[in-house]
Amino acid sequence: MRKSITTIIIALSLLFLFSTVMAGPNLAIPEPSFDFGYVPQHAKISHVFWLHSTGDSTLVITKVTPG
Amino acid sequence: MRKVTKAPKIKTNEGPPDKKVTVMCNVVDRPDATYPVTIKPYKLDLTQFGSKVRNMVTFRITNVSDKTLTPEMVAIADRYFKVDLPESIEPGESGEARLKLNESALDQEFEKSFTFELNDPVKSRFTVPVKRKLRPSIQQEISSDTQGGSSD
Repeated sequence: MRKSITTIIIALSLLFLFSTVMAGPNLAIPEPSFDFGYVPQHAKISHVFWLHSTGDSTLVITKVTPG
Repeated sequence: MRKVTKAPKIKTNEGPPDKKVTVMCNVVDRPDATYPVTIKPYKLDLTQFGSKVRNMVTFRITNVSDKTLTPEMVAIADRYFKVDLPESIEPGESGEARLKLNESALDQEFEKSFTFELNDPVKSRFTVPVKRKLRPSIQQEISSDTQGGSSD
């Protein structure tokens, strides 16, 4: 009996720890890359990337660095 | 032709590591001599010069390969325009494509693009830039120049 209570407590502790680690903002980018293929020189082209906030708190984009 | 890859980083309150998106393309010096298709014109300009609404432009896709090609749209700025591509293009033949602006884009200036993919073995992709600027009507300019001028 005591053994099963201990097992339940450990399981609940792990669950709490896991949910604490997983909590917070999370950014998911379903399609993180795009190939334009052939593009004429000096052309301005564009593509839309969808950013999904999949965490359990508000996602804030603080900086975007060109690369 | 040169391959270009860009990968901007996105920093969020999620913490490190930063996420990134990647774009790549092959910049062509001679867009009139591409393979397996050529596109004429290879840049589309829908600049509004006068009062007559320019809401449509056609362009030709020529198959310079020896296989029938089927173009398929993979990305388009559909808030601004729609494009009808030919269903298939026989070897050595041309197909007419048509870009039509959405009503909501008529009073806007933009520089966007669309990308289509072919069914050749390497799945070649082509991106066509589309530009629209709004210029005052030439007639309006003429009438404003003459207004206030002395008449003989």
